[in-house]
Amino acid sequence: MNSKPILVVGGGPAGLAAAHALASVGQRSIVVEKENRLGGAPILSGYAKLVPSGEWARDAIGGMVSRVEGNPLVEVRKGCRIEEFSGGPGDFTARLSDGSTVEAGAAILCTGFTHFDSVNKPEWGFGTFPDVVTTTQVEQMISTGKGIRCPSDGRKPQRVAILLCVGSRDRQIGREWCSKICCTVSCNIAMEIREELPDCHVYIYYMDIRTYGLNETYYWRSQEEFKVKYIKARIAEVTSDGQKLIVKGEDTLVKRPITIPFDMVVHAIGMDPNVDNKTLAPIFGVGLQEHGHIAKGSAYGALGETSRAGVFVAGAATGPETIDDSIAQGKAAAMAAFALVNQKTAVAA
Amino acid sequence: MPIHEQSLIRPENLKTHDKLVLDGVDVSGHWSTFIEPRVVTDYNEALQEEIAALPGGEHIHRCWQCGSCTNSCTVNAVNPDFNPRFWIYLIRMGMESELLRDKDIIWQCVSCNKCTYACPRDVFPEGVMKATAHWLELQGHTPKSKSTLFDEEFTEQVMATGKIEEGRIIRGFFAKTGQALMQDWLVEMAKRLARRLPIKLGFLMGWATIFRPRTRGWSRAGEAIEEYVHEQQAKQRKALSLE
Ligand SMILES: Cc1cc2nc3c(=O)[nH]c(=O)nc-3n(C[C@H](O)[C@H](O)[C@H](O)COP(=O)(O)OP(=O)(O)OC[C@H]3O[C@@H](n4cnc5c(N)ncnc54)[C@H](O)[C@@H]3O)c2cc1C
Ligand code: SF4
Ligand code: SF4
Ligand code: SF4
Repeated sequence: MNSKPILVVGGGPAGLAAAHALASVGQRSIVVEKENRLGGAPILSGYAKLVPSGEWARDAIGGMVSRVEGNPLVEVRKGCRIEEFSGGPGDFTARLSDGSTVEAGAAILCTGFTHFDSVNKPEWGFGTFPDVVTTTQVEQMISTGKGIRCPSDGRKPQRVAILLCVGSRDRQIGREWCSKICCTVSCNIAMEIREELPDCHVYIYYMDIRTYGLNETYYWRSQEEFKVKYIKARIAEVTSDGQKLIVKGEDTLVKRPITIPFDMVVHAIGMDPNVDNKTLAPIFGVGLQEHGHIAKGSAYGALGETSRAGVFVAGAATGPETIDDSIAQGKAAAMAAFALVNQKTAVAA
Repeated sequence: MPIHEQSLIRPENLKTHDKLVLDGVDVSGHWSTFIEPRVVTDYNEALQEEIAALPGGEHIHRCWQCGSCTNSCTVNAVNPDFNPRFWIYLIRMGMESELLRDKDIIWQCVSCNKCTYACPRDVFPEGVMKATAHWLELQGHTPKSKSTLFDEEFTEQVMATGKIEEGRIIRGFFAKTGQALMQDWLVEMAKRLARRLPIKLGFLMGWATIFRPRTRGWSRAGEAIEEYVHEQQAKQRKALSLE
């Protein structure tokens, strides 16, 4: 095969899956990753055990990384971005931030998402009270082996509240999507907390529980085996009395205002569109959809296509996605890009 | 029937000042009506575990508040205040004082099990109702219900003799519940029975009443059952911190 390599932008689960899929059919690729490490969010943010596999992120995604890094058909460029992108299908030229230029037959954008910054919901205390943390921080407490501790003084919390939909499903901050995985991740985290600290009470405050599909077992097990308590309420504010965090809201099922003390409050943060999308879109000449994710073609005929021929997209770059789905999309986009550069079939527009 | 919610605005919390001027504005009378906030400090976070320790309550923590039990409930259809879903929630959240407000209706469950067949999570709401009524009795919030007293009389007899003797159960039950032995319907029943009963059976009944026959070899079985029952009772009392 003499076709030009395929450019894979972003080395998270989607990009790693795409590069590996291309290598497995003998197609060369170049992975351009802006950070100095491959692996995407699960590695860069230090996630602990993944749902739904239960495997540690460092093993599961780490395995994907080494499979790609050791592959002679994949060229990895870390700490690097694309600054210019020109040409047409089968014949693109990209200029990289390190000054080099690469030629590519096609490009797959696997640029993922940006974690919601909880500071944008000041009423929930993040950034004001050290014991208000995010799911990402809790993942790190678990994956580093430090365990669940209150950041203020390192004590083991006796009462933990997890607030769902922080940075999702909220018109006030212009985020109308559901981030899809945070319910399941939160159920899982709740069980991990109860496992490490059996005397710690864990409450989850929810509007809906969206542990869709087989993830429902996370919801059931957390309730049935781990006695996690679910309260239908969207919290009004998180304050402090100087010692404990004070969570206020309405317990909607009993029409009761609630004011409850907690040691730790966890924000189940959502997945924002990648902050880079505003610069990526003009560089690659691709359209964004209404929420700012990279717009993708119809799943029925053109999965993985963007508004520009020869430029494909996969994973959380298209909207909130799980790892499993990002991997599947990475492979689907690889298939479409491979077909294009090898002129096997004309890809339906 | 829509799920009935209990209003938490209680008349005793409505406060009105007959004479009140705020910032120069006269807000006397109903202009000053406000609801006194009730801060509940007496959450009993062990409540769910206490109910779960009693027979029938084991699966209470499965409940996800869908309301299927309440909207299928026989008693709820006639008394909207009878709301198993609501009580299960109060128990799970440890709102003991709220639960106690309904202590005089919780026992009204008729054990029809319609809720049991409606519940998608296999919570066994009927069992939970039973466990809750039992909890109320053990904690001394409600007197023993008549059915509990009947069960006790029945059990005591079985444990003592391995048999039951109806006349004795009725006498014991009436004595425990403070009812007169000579009740019209009972007298009438006895009269009619006497008219039709074969002589031999009547004689046997009288004999059994006086001599209390026991099942042969019962003492060992009886002791084992008694020991088991006491063990269970002790366990339950311990779970409720009553020891
Ligand atoms: C707290 C939390 C826990 C989660 N846990 C799970 C879980 O247990 N299971 C699960 O299925 N999902 C989980 N997710 C979702 C999971 O993180 C995503 O599904 C997954 O990371 C998406 O993979 P991706 O490759 O599309 O994007 P990403 O993982 O975001 O990877 C994108 C990569 O592209 C790089 N990049 C971005 N912009 C550029 C650019 N301009 N130039 C070059 N490179 C760029 C990034 O540095 C990154 O390496 C969780 C999410 C959160 C927030
Ligand atoms: S997955 Fe759950 S927590 Fe996340 S945005 Fe959707 S409903 Fe909210
Ligand atoms: S068993 Fe009791 S709670 Fe259940 S439906 Fe019948 S009366 Fe209602
Ligand atoms: S039917 Fe079952 S799950 Fe639904 S509210 Fe009643 S007890 Fe809970």
